[in-house]
Order: sequence, then structure tokens, then C-alpha cells
Amino acid sequence: MANTETTGTSTGLLMRDGLVRRVGEAVAIGFLVVVAGIVTIIVSTRVDFGLLETIFPRFVDAFVRVLGIVIAASVLSILLGMFIGLGRISTSPITSRITKGYVEFFRGTPLLFQLFVIYFGIPGLWGGAGFPIPNWEIPAAIIGLTLNHSAYVGEAIRGGIDAVPDGQMEGARSLGMSRVMALRQVVFPQALRNALAAIGNDQIILVKDTSLLTVIAVPELMTVFRDVNSTTFQPWTPLIWVCLFYLVITMSMSQLVNAAERRGDPGRDGSLSALAGMFSRRGGGGS
Amino acid sequence: MSRAGLVEFDDVHKYFGETHVLRGIDAAIDETEVVVVIGPSGSGKSTLLRCVNRLEEIQQGAVRIAGQSVTAPDADINRIRQRVGMVFQSFNLFPHMTARENITIGPRKVRDLSATEGEELASELLDRVGLTGQGDSYPNELSGGQQQRVAIARALAMEPEVMLFDEVTSALDPELVGDVLGVMRDLATDGMTMLVVTHEMEFAREVGDRIVLMADGTIVEQDEPERLFTNPRTERAKQFLQRLL
Repeated sequence: MANTETTGTSTGLLMRDGLVRRVGEAVAIGFLVVVAGIVTIIVSTRVDFGLLETIFPRFVDAFVRVLGIVIAASVLSILLGMFIGLGRISTSPITSRITKGYVEFFRGTPLLFQLFVIYFGIPGLWGGAGFPIPNWEIPAAIIGLTLNHSAYVGEAIRGGIDAVPDGQMEGARSLGMSRVMALRQVVFPQALRNALAAIGNDQIILVKDTSLLTVIAVPELMTVFRDVNSTTFQPWTPLIWVCLFYLVITMSMSQLVNAAERRGDPGRDGSLSALAGMFSRRGGGGS
Repeated sequence: MSRAGLVEFDDVHKYFGETHVLRGIDAAIDETEVVVVIGPSGSGKSTLLRCVNRLEEIQQGAVRIAGQSVTAPDADINRIRQRVGMVFQSFNLFPHMTARENITIGPRKVRDLSATEGEELASELLDRVGLTGQGDSYPNELSGGQQQRVAIARALAMEPEVMLFDEVTSALDPELVGDVLGVMRDLATDGMTMLVVTHEMEFAREVGDRIVLMADGTIVEQDEPERLFTNPRTERAKQFLQRLL
């Protein structure tokens, strides 16, 4: 077939790049106009600015609480997730199967169920009254989010390890390093870099998962919304705060992930190398 | 039984599943000898090389270095590997480390070399492979030929008794091959014991003390380069060499 023929005859609508681009723009702009219109109407007719100010401190309280829970669960789930990920690739079938089971369970059941097990189930073992830990909802929330998200982080890290070429392990072993040493010095730092995007995604989901904590009596953003709504019957005013406060956390988190990704690229020194260094220089690990 | 050499293969058999890739290899490499293994692809050259530091397990026979078994189940493989330097076709440099860190990580972690000793060692080795002043470069900032020379320096950093080269120029642009072969030539001149798998026949002829020609998992013929290249005795060797010319 002659190339000159095809340009004239077989250009369907989707073959014309310029046209597709303009149609896409039109749709996107149309979408923006509709959304902006709806938001403008709602804000101007349904949002009570006086109330917005009055309820602000309550949302700040909830926000601080959520932030604390997020930071704790985030750090703990990433740490635990590293061990889960390493467990998954263990040469011991016992370790790899047990960690696989862990991942299957925590990914395979709803987070809300897991929170119920921890929040209701564990005190239930004391027969209701004798449970010794006050304000159990906060530790329960942190434990639940940590266990759940460490399963996802573990899978991300396992994927990151699998993506490191076999030659890296062989190169390290050929120098006389043990498998554990080669993992720590060579494979794991690269795996962490590979897994960064997936871990970041999961941590953003973790932030949003804190909205479930309202069900186990943690006074978080959704809880404040319900309190305000049920006394004022003005849903739109508190919803504004809910939206903004979640976005503050999730958007700064994705900035953080982007920055870590840039700095973690080979050829630059930065936070990730420092993080990797923490694992390579410190302590003689287990086997 | 072959004569006792620094590296000995004693009736080595290797299977990948059903495939019998090494079919009874007997050979020995003397100290300071440069043995070049050639042969058609799939003949088992690289596999044989990888058995020396047990990156491949064998199913029968033995490999020994200085009389010590590499293949015995109770062999201290990490210790043995410190005595065997290996350079790979795909370099396998550590991308998150600078050239200097690539070179020093082995001695630092395995031999507890101090940081200052490591610095010295790295500079010395970078000089030796013609990369003076490139220590702070990351692998992705270096050309393929430079990366491969860093990889050679990394292997040398462990002060090995024998060096294995597994098709180390095959992944390089033609104009970069010369520098790497040059470094290998210098090593040979300095008396390093070397086992080299390569398709570079000119190098084999010039640097090799002995050529081992493999086909279908066996050694077809081995001899001094001149004799083997000009006057092969076996039909299989003639066939292979003819195709190269």
C-alpha cells in the first residue's frame, strides 16, 4: 500500500489529532463550567457564612485529631509494611506463607469490619465492663488503619523488590555478600524507590479511610459534620469544611510523595537515599 | 582427572529442568592463565562460568578453587565468592550508588574496610581502569564502556584470585568495546587468572593462553589460540570457526 493514499482515504474522525484535542478541550471546559456553576449556586444560596465561622474551631479540633491519627498510622503502616514485604519474599516458605495470609486477610475483608473487631471485639473479651484502656477508639483507630494499610504497603514493597532486576542480587552476591546483606544494601533501597508511588497512593487512601472512624466514635471530620447538620439542618455549610480539610492533608501528601520521588532518583542525593541509608548503615538485622 | 589447577571442573553436569546444559565438563585453569571460552550460543559457556562462583548449582561433579570445593553443600559460598571476581554482560552496577560506592561497597561491608582505606582503594582502581576522577558519577551518568570498567574495578576491589568475564562486551556499542578489552588485556599482563566467555575472537587470539571451544554442553576442543584457530582438529571446531570467518 502506498503511504500517500492512506492519508487521504482512511482518516476517520479519531485519526485527526487536532480535532480530537479540541473536542477534548471543549468537553473539559464544559465540565468545568457546569461544576463551577453548581458550586457557585450552592455557595451563594446554601452556605451560611456566619455558621461557617462558628463551626470552624470544631473542625480544626477534628482536623488535628485526624492529622495525629494519620501520622501515627502512616509511619507505623509503612514500617510494618516493609517487614510484610520482606516476609513475602522470604526464602522460608513458613514466613512467606504466613505473610501472604496476613495480606490476604487484611485486603480481603473490609476495613470497617477490621475496625469493629478491634473496637468492639477486643473489649468484648473482657465481658464488656472490665476493659482497662480508656478512650479505646483512638488506639483502635490507629491499630486498625496500621494493620490494614501495612498489607497494601507490603504488597507495594514486594512489587518494588520484584521489579529490581535479578542481576542486582547476583552482582551483590558475587562480591561475597550474604542474601540479607545484598537485600539491605542493594535491592531494598531500589525497591523502596520503585514502590514509592504505590505507597503514596495507599497513604492517601489511608487519609480518606479515617472518615470510617466516625462509626467507632472517633470525633473526626465526618462526626463533626453530622453533629452540625443534625442541629442546624444546613448540610452544605459543614460540608465545605469537610472537603477543604481532607484536601489539605491529601494534597500536601501527594506533594510530599512527588518530592520524595524526584529526590530519590539515582544521581541525586536526598531524603530517600537518607531513608535507604537508615536501613543500610544501621544494625545487623535478622536473617 | 585433570591436573590440579587454581580452578578445576571435575565431571560437571548441569540441568535446567529436563535440559542437560553441561554434559561432563573436565577442565583446569592454572594460576595466571587466561582461558577464553568460545562456542555457539546455547553451548553452555556462560553457565559453566556461573558455576565457578555458584550462581548456578550443578547436579553432578565438582568445581574447586585452589583445591577447595565450591559445590559442596557445606561450602562457605560467601567466603569463596570473595576470592572470585565476576563481571557481567549487563554490568549489574548498583544504580543508587556512585562509581566509588559501587567499588567500595564489597570491601566495606564484607571486609570491614575503613572509609579512608575505601577512598584510597577506589581512586587506585578508578585510575587502573582509566576512569580517574569519575568516582562521584552515578552509573546512569556514564557510558556503557565506562560502566563496565567500573564493574571490573568493583570486582577487583575484593582482590580476587580469579576473574570471570561473562560476555562483558556484548551489550556495548562497538566503539566502546576497545576500552573494556584494553583493561582486560592489562589485567592479563599483570598476571591475573582469568576465565573469559566472549565472542571477540581477536581478543581471544591475542590475550588468551588457551582457548576452550564448547558446543552442546561439552568441551569440543581446547588448545593454544594459534593452533586452534588455524588448525582445529575436530569437525565441530572447524564448522564453528568457518562460520566466524
